[in-house]
Amino acid sequence: MNFLEKSKEIRKEFIEVGYFFESCNKLFNIELVAENKGFKKKITQNAIHRPGLALAGYLDLFTYNRVQIFGNTEASYLKKLSSTKRIKSYEKFFSFDIPCVIFTNGNEPDSDFKKLAKKHNVSVFKSKYSTTKVVYYLGDFLDDQFANQMTIHGSLVDVYGVGILFVGRSGIGKSEIALDLVERGHRLVADDIILATRKGEGILMGSGTSLIRHFMEIRGLGLLNVEKIFGVRSIRFQKRIEVIVVLEEWNPKTEYTRTGLDSIHTNILGVDIKTVRLPIFPGKNITVISEVIALNYLLQHYGYDAAKDMQERVEKGISKKRKSRDNRVITYFEHDFE
Amino acid sequence: MIQKEVKIINRAGLHTRPAAIIVKLASKFNSEFYIYQNDLSINGKSIIGVMTLCAEQGSKLTLSFEGEDEEEACNEISAYFERGFDEL
Repeated sequence: MNFLEKSKEIRKEFIEVGYFFESCNKLFNIELVAENKGFKKKITQNAIHRPGLALAGYLDLFTYNRVQIFGNTEASYLKKLSSTKRIKSYEKFFSFDIPCVIFTNGNEPDSDFKKLAKKHNVSVFKSKYSTTKVVYYLGDFLDDQFANQMTIHGSLVDVYGVGILFVGRSGIGKSEIALDLVERGHRLVADDIILATRKGEGILMGSGTSLIRHFMEIRGLGLLNVEKIFGVRSIRFQKRIEVIVVLEEWNPKTEYTRTGLDSIHTNILGVDIKTVRLPIFPGKNITVISEVIALNYLLQHYGYDAAKDMQERVEKGISKKRKSRDNRVITYFEHDFE
Repeated sequence: MIQKEVKIINRAGLHTRPAAIIVKLASKFNSEFYIYQNDLSINGKSIIGVMTLCAEQGSKLTLSFEGEDEEEACNEISAYFERGFDEL
């Protein structure tokens, strides 16, 4: 689809350990053990690593460039070693360029470990939470940080719980439709600049930017703050993008779907999103059509497809080879003259 | 398609007034106009988009034009950047 042509796919190349600490501290309370060193180091991978085998001396395939987690296994193994062996193990571990280390389950590094961490400028954190919990939070946080992102020019509105992304050329009326939908009780996610982020398999989330939030521009009026005008019920901060509506000028030469049996999809960041091409012309109420698109999407989601239903009816009608042409739907109310 | 790199040279940066003028200039042309800044790509015909850039003095932007009047559009808009939004 051409509306994606100008959008660039982006992915963070790294996050700094300092930023990592700040964000994770908010999420699940990690504490800094050693001094504030190594905050400029870069984390480049969304995966984490348990260095048990590396500490035991098996250093092939040691993924040292990931965040290293020391859980109960690592801590109890290290405790069993003699102090010379332990220091040797530490030295080997720190000979690699480690981004940072987290001790979980309330485990703490010993003084030798702290010394070496300081020497190699590696930040060491600890958490009172279990390894499973830390891994869960970390995985989620790092996945989000390193997710593929894209900025898309359009408007994203939650219509009856369905995230509809309106796209089309500048000035075609995306903001006006979004405003109309908000006025009818639907919720604006963002107008103009949509940040699309891929979450897991097959999920595309959309949100606005921190600067614009829920401001929008309406030609002839200027800038509006939707949250201030319509209140908190009229907005939301993120929404899964489920349907794309491409607004186009009516072109008699273009063929539009008439049955809805042939659905089109747009691939954004590897996620296929159902797409509707909507020709606009004066007198056409795009807002109501958008609501119907959302409701129809919900029906399909719950297993009902109007186009398929109609197709089956026609097929049934054909196979009956009806001789009589009694086509009226109502036979019971024959004497109802109302 | 034409791409051109520009620098913000006025002290106040790309604030509301120049943003509005850029959008006004851009909407005179039929060409598509996009501005790239680091990992952000925004439609240059949208005031909200241009204001999102929050481009301060010294920052660099890439302007991209595509359409039948891309050359005129590029000349006029990049000249406005080069004049420091007439604030020098």
